[in-house]
Amino acid sequence: MDNNFKYKLLIRQIYELAKANMRSRYRKTIAGFLWVVLNPIIMYSVQSFVFRKFLKLEVPNYSLFLLCGLLPWIFIVMTADMVTPILDFSGELLKSFKMSPAVLVYAQVLDNFINFIFAFFLILIPTWIFSDQTFSGVIFLPVALALLVAGVSSACWLLSVMQVFFKDIRFIVSFLTSILFFLTPVFYPVEFVPEKYRIFVDFNPIYAMIEPFRYCIYNYNLELLCKSLLRSFVVCCMIFTLAVGFWKRKKNEFYLSL
Amino acid sequence: MNSISVSDTVLKIEKLNIVFNSYVYRRETIRDRFVRAVGSPLSSLRSNKNQLHVLKDFNLEVKKGERLGILGHNGSGKTTLCRCIAGMLIPSTGRISVNGTRRSIFNTTIGIIPELTGRENAYLLSVLMFPELENDERNDLLEEALEFSELGDFLDTPYMHYSKGMQARLCLSVISSNECDLLILDEVFDGADMFFQEKIAKRVLNLIKNSGAVVFVSHNLEQIRTACNQVMVIDGGNAWFKGDVEEGIKLYTSRGH
Repeated sequence: MDNNFKYKLLIRQIYELAKANMRSRYRKTIAGFLWVVLNPIIMYSVQSFVFRKFLKLEVPNYSLFLLCGLLPWIFIVMTADMVTPILDFSGELLKSFKMSPAVLVYAQVLDNFINFIFAFFLILIPTWIFSDQTFSGVIFLPVALALLVAGVSSACWLLSVMQVFFKDIRFIVSFLTSILFFLTPVFYPVEFVPEKYRIFVDFNPIYAMIEPFRYCIYNYNLELLCKSLLRSFVVCCMIFTLAVGFWKRKKNEFYLSL
Repeated sequence: MNSISVSDTVLKIEKLNIVFNSYVYRRETIRDRFVRAVGSPLSSLRSNKNQLHVLKDFNLEVKKGERLGILGHNGSGKTTLCRCIAGMLIPSTGRISVNGTRRSIFNTTIGIIPELTGRENAYLLSVLMFPELENDERNDLLEEALEFSELGDFLDTPYMHYSKGMQARLCLSVISSNECDLLILDEVFDGADMFFQEKIAKRVLNLIKNSGAVVFVSHNLEQIRTACNQVMVIDGGNAWFKGDVEEGIKLYTSRGH
């Protein structure tokens, strides 16, 4: 079986499983598929209201600014939270017959990504239209989205394999993301971070994936946008290398540890 | 895993060694380590490098048309061997070569997404087990398998409400619907009820006959007699007999198993 055919079969399996995941997730709920957009919309509305009205952050067009950071953030955190234990919890299935463990991971990432895209554009388009921001950055949006999904897929693969070997990982992920929410310029601009604390931003992989959205949608600047895309690409490559390296090192013990 | 060119040989295993490190299956928490360090400070300083040698210099050749039954007591390495052949475990040393497609089954009560119906789970199972099938082919195969399962209206109820027997019916019906070059079956008849066991046994035997070669693990000697034309007895990580079914069963039972 040549590699192209193998990848084609893998993609088919991922697609079918993602479709089934989506079907099962909202079955028997009253709101059904509406939950896809309800959750991010509620989060976005409450945060937008609190930071604008209570904290009175001096950021022009704050709703659009928050949208660019918060929705990718929700996608990253929610996906990491759901995917990290997926291989560990699917031990019985993985040991029942030969299947690629990557199918389980990427199907869940794809499922979440489709939900994110729906929510993102449903909220983005009206907010963007009613703002006075330029639309020039829209052509770079697919690149930012591609880098986001590539980075999240690699990180999720790494975390889910690590969880099989170190059962503490999912608790660490949950704890770290709670802390990172305050250390990542999601609800405040990066300029608010004093120079001496910029290290939290410069070495923050989540911010590297979120930053291009800001320059595409909110604050279009071609030079800064290209720099942020390059930074996001480098972070993606680093996470991918880590994920592949860890898998190669541990794959012999994978089924034993399930 | 490599492909082999000798057309008659479906599976070839040369000098296979499987060694498990104890730390893989014996994880310690910080509390365990602390208790060990306080209880026995000297032993806690020594690194834990115990190893379990499951298969030792193991050789095997399975030719087309061979239906090999594997006998051995619990923990003798039957499932480890099957997982190695299936490509799930990587040998510590040695070589496993398979000529053609292989399919392995280790559990017959698998629910891919238990919240979905039996019919939807059967479809997913077929996508994961037989991804190479085209849609029309898959639909025909599923239609036949679901009819064979005799689950009727239950097919459209959630899989999570199925009893073990019903889960086994559904999975066995799907699993046994497509043949391949090398089929690895590890105690697949467990779970189904008496009536269905007879029915599925006939179907699996038919599948076994139509597949290129079969590696079949079971503790049920009658099943081994019906399904296999060769028997291998494993003990202590080595194959100490391979040959005639009756002779193999006699040797296996005479060793007090």
